Amino acid sequence: MNTRPLFRLVLLGLVLAGCSGGEPSAPGASGSASGVETVVATTTRYVDDPPTYPSEPLPDGLVWETNLADEAYASPDAKRGGVFRMYMLSFPLTLRLVGPDANGGFANYIRATDASLTDIHPNTHNPIPQLATEWAFGADGKTIYYKLDPTATWSDGVPVTADDYLFTIDFMRSPYIVDPWYNNFYTNEIIDVVKHDDYTISIVGAAVKPKNEALFYYGLRPTPRHFHKLDENWVQDYNWRPAPGTGPYTVSRVEKGQVVEFQRNPNWWGDGNKYFASRYNPDTIRFTVIRDTNVAWEYFLRGELDSFLVVLPNFWHEKARGELFDKGYIERIKFYTDIPIPSQGMWLNMDDPILADRNVRLGLHYSMNVDLMLNQLLRGDYERLRMHYEGYGAYSHPDIQPRPFDLAKADEHFRAAGWTQRGPDGIRVKDGRRLSFNVVYGNGEHTARLVVLREEARKAGVELNLQLQDASAYFKQIQEKKHQIGWMAWSPQHIPAFWEHYHSDNAHIPQTNNITATDDPELDALIIEQRDTPDYETRIRLAHEIQQRIHDIGAFIPMYKVPYTREAYWRWLKLPEHHGVRMTQILFDPISENLRTDGLFWIDEDVKRETLEARAAGRTFPPVNIVDETWRVD
Amino acid sequence: MIRFAPQTIKQWKRFRSIKRGYYSLVVMVALLALSVLAELLVNSRALIVRYEGQYYFPTYSAFLPGRTFGLDYDYETNYRDLKAAFAQSGGTNWVLLPPVPYNAFETDFRDGAFPPYPPSIATRHYLGTDVTGRDIVARLLYGFRLAMAFAVILLACNYVVGIAIGCAMGFWGGAFDLFFQRLIEIWSNVPFLYVIMIIASVIVPNFGTLVVAMVVFGWMSMTWYMRTVTYKEKAREYVSAARALGASNVRIVFRHILPNTISIIVTFIPFSIAAGVTALTALDYLGFGLPPPTPSWGELLSQGTANLHAPWIVTSVVAAMTVVLLMVAYIGEAIREAFDPKQFSYYA
Repeated sequence: MNTRPLFRLVLLGLVLAGCSGGEPSAPGASGSASGVETVVATTTRYVDDPPTYPSEPLPDGLVWETNLADEAYASPDAKRGGVFRMYMLSFPLTLRLVGPDANGGFANYIRATDASLTDIHPNTHNPIPQLATEWAFGADGKTIYYKLDPTATWSDGVPVTADDYLFTIDFMRSPYIVDPWYNNFYTNEIIDVVKHDDYTISIVGAAVKPKNEALFYYGLRPTPRHFHKLDENWVQDYNWRPAPGTGPYTVSRVEKGQVVEFQRNPNWWGDGNKYFASRYNPDTIRFTVIRDTNVAWEYFLRGELDSFLVVLPNFWHEKARGELFDKGYIERIKFYTDIPIPSQGMWLNMDDPILADRNVRLGLHYSMNVDLMLNQLLRGDYERLRMHYEGYGAYSHPDIQPRPFDLAKADEHFRAAGWTQRGPDGIRVKDGRRLSFNVVYGNGEHTARLVVLREEARKAGVELNLQLQDASAYFKQIQEKKHQIGWMAWSPQHIPAFWEHYHSDNAHIPQTNNITATDDPELDALIIEQRDTPDYETRIRLAHEIQQRIHDIGAFIPMYKVPYTREAYWRWLKLPEHHGVRMTQILFDPISENLRTDGLFWIDEDVKRETLEARAAGRTFPPVNIVDETWRVD
Repeated sequence: MIRFAPQTIKQWKRFRSIKRGYYSLVVMVALLALSVLAELLVNSRALIVRYEGQYYFPTYSAFLPGRTFGLDYDYETNYRDLKAAFAQSGGTNWVLLPPVPYNAFETDFRDGAFPPYPPSIATRHYLGTDVTGRDIVARLLYGFRLAMAFAVILLACNYVVGIAIGCAMGFWGGAFDLFFQRLIEIWSNVPFLYVIMIIASVIVPNFGTLVVAMVVFGWMSMTWYMRTVTYKEKAREYVSAARALGASNVRIVFRHILPNTISIIVTFIPFSIAAGVTALTALDYLGFGLPPPTPSWGELLSQGTANLHAPWIVTSVVAAMTVVLLMVAYIGEAIREAFDPKQFSYYA
């Protein structure tokens, strides 16, 4: 919700490296060499005289809406208390929410110290209240009115009022935060925030959007105006100052380079909210730096971490087995989810003279033995991705199928493009050029996958040169459109974004998301029509037409998806009966951005004692292997 | 008939008398010869195919599509399958495969099992496969060839530059010498492995660029030795004599000084080779070396350490590395002994 999208690479690294926190990138800013520096928040009031703003009268005829009809999705049996122990691969570079280095992997947790105005229900996708109890839409289609929850307070006890929302605009537009993304978003996308009284505000967005999408897109978060003293030293001064938040936890202890601890706010206003009730149960969340996933796994087996993400096939099949699992001390769960899916695949740059030929592109589609890679290398654990926009509910085209590995069809297309001859090494040649492409990618873990595709593609007479690059160098190359084939995934959004990826406005220029150089008048027209139509049914029909056209152009070769989470956890962690929700990302996420699907589990201290005693005495429990397919799509 | 100088013959005899160095050299030369002929020993292409009365030798020829042998595909023939098919049909056709019938790139998957596969004589994966199902013998042998070629080329380039500059420094002395001394001091302080990592993360290195990058940061070490030796030799009487006879600078350097420094150069060679192999392996291990899927020891090593449940990967590559580096060290030690003018050292 109007937070900068985390770089997909970081997220992929996070999930696929099987870790439960932190980003696998730069070695963090560790503490001073002489010893550990502990940061404790002693005050949250750095501004004596926080700004206040004038108010304007509310227009007449607003229709206030709310949604308390959907089901709560936490378990009423949940027990409060305990310390939940996690790890991170590197230490965060800052505790700030914005500014330099604030968009690393750990931001997912820091951002969760703040609630939003509204959110969407993770099962029904209906809007639900968070900091706003009611909302209404203005006649212009761009303005949204909110009634704020009067019980909401910052974690330091200061009430959250309209002024904190108006301060957000000043704050986000300020040059002192050194964050162009937020400067731009809060200037060009969010036009204004208006105070009507202390507990009523309105937000003016830049463009008309369907109601639920506008609610999501234009919703903003309050900023504690008694905490932020904006001046040229802000970036440095606030690097390690834990901010008071509106979320369930606040940062309570930082040992630089080693530990970050979050403490549950004992009088959290959110406990009175239907959808927050019985959630966020551990009193403390402790992140410890463990710089290697395999070492972290050993910590987990020793019982020093409570849960572990085991999505990677070798973790699930090889490591998450053995005595501790057979004796029932550690349990396993595979939980299918239904959420927008990252678009992992090959992005063909049509500005390349060879790839400009549609027949070559389709030939490439048929040359990729994705099934062999999935079934043999990834043990059939991952599934074939159908297309770019999967998991967007009605927006996703229901029928598009990816092109299978078919050497006859590949041959047909390559011949049609004039690639009829094969050179001495079996690679096709035409006019002295070889049918050879550079594939850039940024994650060494993916080499094995590409090696399989490469060897199989040789059969079709295509050569793929694998170019593994440093993650940021590789992304830069793609952003500058210097690639031939880019191997990457776009992080999913709430609704499909066609314009940024496929409109000709973004083609042939650097730093845009149209990395295929798609420049198609017919598609342009469809995209603009779809964007400007407020009618839901028409938007969906047009979205399907757009996806069909994208499929026909064939500049994206879809690879795979992982429509589930797999986790191992000590048996003292308890989940609700339904385990998770439709939009769950990680079941044992104590908090995460948006406060949507996280914090459903709890720690049962009695079971913990029982388990530790049983283990010492050699008593066992029945092994637990849960597979929950409630939200499985296919 | 080539005649060796008596001095050389003496040194060779001395070298031979140091047994472990001598046998290391023999084994090393044999290994290098084997790796040059790797295509005949470890390869997915057959050595000889007899099909319908005709003989085919696919090893060094252009690729032969499956249709050549009556199969229904246009891509490279799978000779292992072809052999099985011929054996089944029982005709006069036959295939002779190399001892290890896999190349370093192909992924060999089996139904119902997932790589890495353990060593097996039945499947002819004598050291097993790596995590993508590629034969470890093939990866090791081709990786060895590449690493040795890399080390030798790197050595040649480093020595040409290092010897030229070092010699010039010693011969001319003065301002030239001072300038290069300072330059080398500064240049040596650049942490070259890090610089190469930074370069490699921005551009994808290939064999050539990697050699160039390593030479740029690796030519300095030879200069100091050459400078000192040249200084020393320059002051000797035979140089003065040559000069008195009217020899040019070029002649003095190339005909008189350089031949007398050869023993220094030769003794450094084995250690430079070892350094080249380890540098490439380290870079590959860290993922900054040659691009995948180039067969490489460093890449195998990183696979092995990440997959300790498949011990055959890490054991193979660690054993291979230890043996090769040990042999190089023995050879180096023996050469040093052989070139030492003092047969015996006395310590008072």
